[in-house]
Amino acid sequence: MSLLSVRNLRTRFATDRGDVRAVNGVSFDLAEGEILGLVGESGSGKSVTALSIMRLVPEPPGHVAADSLAFDGRELLALSEAEMREERGSSMAMIFQDPMRSLNPVLTIGRQILEVLRRHQKLDGAAARKRAIELLEMVGIPSADKRLSAYPHQFSGGMRQRVMIAIALSCNPRLLIADEATTALDVTIQAQIIDLVKRLTRERGTSVIWISHDLGVVAGLCDRVNVMYAGNVVESGPIRELFHRPGHGYTLGLMGSTPRVDGTGARRLTPIEGMPPNLIDPIELCPFLPRCRVAVAACRAQPPARRDLDMGHWATCFADLPT
Amino acid sequence: MADARTLPFQFRGSLVLAARQFPRNRAATVGFVVLLLICLAAALAPWIAPYDPIQIKLAMKLKPPSLEHWMGTDHFGRDVFSRMLYGGRTSLSVGLLVVGFAFAAGVPLGLLSGYFGGKLDNLLMRLVDAFLTFPPLLLAVALVGLLGPDIKNVMLALGLVQAPILARMVRGSTLAVREDAYVMAARALGASPLRIVLSHLLRNMVSPIVVQLTVVFSAAVVAEASLSFLGFGTQPPEPSWGRDMSEARRFLGDAPWMFLAPTGIIAICVLSINFMGDGLRDALDPRAWRTRRSVAAEENGA
Amino acid sequence: MWSYLGRRLIQVPLVLLVVSLMTFLITRATPGDPVQIMLGMQTSPEAAAAMRKEFNLDRSLPEQYGLWVAKVATGDLGRSMRLNDRVTNLIAERLPISLRLATAGMLFALLVSIPLGVIAALRRNSWIDYLCTGYTVLGFAVPNFGLALILIYVFSIKLDWLPITGIGTAEAETGGLWKQFSPFIIPAVALGTLQTAMLTRLLRSSMIDVLSQDYMRTARAKGLLPATIVVIHALKNAMIPFVTMAAVQFGYMIGIQVTIEYIFAVPGMGSAVLNAVVNRDFPVIQGFTLVISIFFLLANILADMLYALLDPRIRY
Repeated sequence: MSLLSVRNLRTRFATDRGDVRAVNGVSFDLAEGEILGLVGESGSGKSVTALSIMRLVPEPPGHVAADSLAFDGRELLALSEAEMREERGSSMAMIFQDPMRSLNPVLTIGRQILEVLRRHQKLDGAAARKRAIELLEMVGIPSADKRLSAYPHQFSGGMRQRVMIAIALSCNPRLLIADEATTALDVTIQAQIIDLVKRLTRERGTSVIWISHDLGVVAGLCDRVNVMYAGNVVESGPIRELFHRPGHGYTLGLMGSTPRVDGTGARRLTPIEGMPPNLIDPIELCPFLPRCRVAVAACRAQPPARRDLDMGHWATCFADLPT
Repeated sequence: MADARTLPFQFRGSLVLAARQFPRNRAATVGFVVLLLICLAAALAPWIAPYDPIQIKLAMKLKPPSLEHWMGTDHFGRDVFSRMLYGGRTSLSVGLLVVGFAFAAGVPLGLLSGYFGGKLDNLLMRLVDAFLTFPPLLLAVALVGLLGPDIKNVMLALGLVQAPILARMVRGSTLAVREDAYVMAARALGASPLRIVLSHLLRNMVSPIVVQLTVVFSAAVVAEASLSFLGFGTQPPEPSWGRDMSEARRFLGDAPWMFLAPTGIIAICVLSINFMGDGLRDALDPRAWRTRRSVAAEENGA
Repeated sequence: MWSYLGRRLIQVPLVLLVVSLMTFLITRATPGDPVQIMLGMQTSPEAAAAMRKEFNLDRSLPEQYGLWVAKVATGDLGRSMRLNDRVTNLIAERLPISLRLATAGMLFALLVSIPLGVIAALRRNSWIDYLCTGYTVLGFAVPNFGLALILIYVFSIKLDWLPITGIGTAEAETGGLWKQFSPFIIPAVALGTLQTAMLTRLLRSSMIDVLSQDYMRTARAKGLLPATIVVIHALKNAMIPFVTMAAVQFGYMIGIQVTIEYIFAVPGMGSAVLNAVVNRDFPVIQGFTLVISIFFLLANILADMLYALLDPRIRY
């Protein structure tokens, strides 16, 4: 039984030039304790997918629909806003890209942690304070009791993200969504944060959706990966499988444009030419076709169908790709 | 490294483009037309006013608006509509004069201050601070009250308040633009400061200066009315929007049209000027332009 | 922080010096002999000379100014030429009344602009947003004395709900609550509407800006209650520019309210200056404008201090 089951998620935004189909029929499952990577370039729909699951998409101009969006057995789209508010921050939590902008600059760190504890766990006073200090220590912030009265601008980027993680995990959520959580950080700090998340979530059995455009980060952290392009999941599989044998032209392109430290053969980075499609006009064939290097005749004739490549590894691609 | 901010635009060509942008803003166009009509009406007052504004006709006093007297009559039997027309000549001309004064005094000062910086800048800005500390209406009252209700004094009084505000704004823009790449390039090419100022700096400040001048205009019209209301400024029996409002106080209950007419006219003027100013601001800012080409580009998902 | 305050306060006397110099020059540029005007044509040369001596009008201009500044440094603003009293006493009488009127106007502005601005930002493009825009536009366009006349016409003359005079009178001081407060209502609304318009517009745009910030998304992602999100997370940020503008506007009030004082016969600072100008009462003009300017400067400094207090990122 998967913790999260997404079936045909469709999120669109009404603009004066037409409806933008940001998420165009996404389906996947997330098992308990699994770390799922969501990879793709800007505009691929990965962030919107996450926001749709949390139902944080502003409606209007947004509109979220799905055949099924089941979290822990409950249909999220059937919940009222008040019921959703009970879930957010307690059973499902999210951390965002830029910790400086994601923390309220005029409230103390302590205040921002305590309010979640007060809201969802009904903790107050000394008990809440004690728990807040525990949480800060858990994410590795020294002198935690003094830090409670500090403001976000007094912390470094990495520390702020740790605070965000502490806030997110404070009520022991079943699901943690991290949207480009390390993108704005230094590389060395990135590694620390990723390790921290990995350790804490493994300890608690929390499921994670880790969103990134950086394959390297995903490789070190995730169990499974969904590759997204133009609002669809175009490939999905266990991390090793995907890296060994990418099954979609886009995934192949991503790998070709990613520098590798292990230097398997000195080769040039091959960027993916072209631009992603605008998400307003309906796309008949494969959305990646204009930029694909491995397209075959079938690609120009009909939309691609899902093809199973191996156990739990599939791609919507006609091409037979080399390993 | 060039973005729209650093590219100097061809002055004449862009004026044409701006002129085309303006009508797209309906409120601005309405404002402009209304203002134009009022100004024309005021200018042509001697020809189009139905009655002599200062001729006393006690038999006709305090009559409500009717077909003969569109805005009624005042306590001396004078036609309010005619008085409004003539009163506009004073208010609007003072407004325009103040705009001219503020521009002539404020812009060069702001440019000098911003461009050369240093001690001059410090000194000028301290002066500006002092001017702005003085309660503006009281300064005007003092100047006009003590030096005489001459239109020159009114203009001076109102201009002395507006010019520093404009100077400060121009200084700010100058500081911002001064360090831009193309100005450095011009300096490197040996352009003299005067040339840089005139051809580069000023051109890029057209939008904020023009918009600020509309604010100055509407503030000056209101200030002149306030002065006349308080008894300084235009003296009776000359028609004056503010003065007439003051005289209307005794007849508030009996003849509300006496104060409603000038109040309404002033409000309409201020509104028109402000809408027009908003439209000008959008029209003069190249970043806000939506030309046919840019709209088409957007639609193709650029 | 305190050193910043100190630095700002040091600049005050310098600005005041320039302001007082300007006032002085304006008064001395008056055509005609003030003493003659004061005492009338039929006065004896001796009386005129005596008055001139008393008010230092027989000295040279720089001397006159220097003497005045020296006296001010000791807290003496001189004597009124017209009213037989020390300027400082006159100020002590009039300043509290002006302050009361200004506070009333500001209170009105705050009471209306805060809810209006917040709701307009939360319900953009709704009817209340358009109402808010309409009100602010009118607030800018109708001059305060015009609005005062309209309000008097509707509420005092036609409906007879509210009085016109009464501020600063003995009756108002000692009467019941309604008698004390009702005279302030129309003047406060007339005076404060422009401020309301400015503050509403500011708060609305400030809130809209704040609501689009990333930390609001975080607050929503935490599942916090809407009231908490708006008041604690959004408003606290949006109020920072609002509070500083309110402080600055308050500083302007005393200067602006002269038309209101005129209409409602309020014995405040503005009307005193008005009378002094008509009467060529130089010491009053100089003294009063000095005090009004001090007030304005202090309000500006207060605004900066408030900004630092409210925004933890600012530390001078």
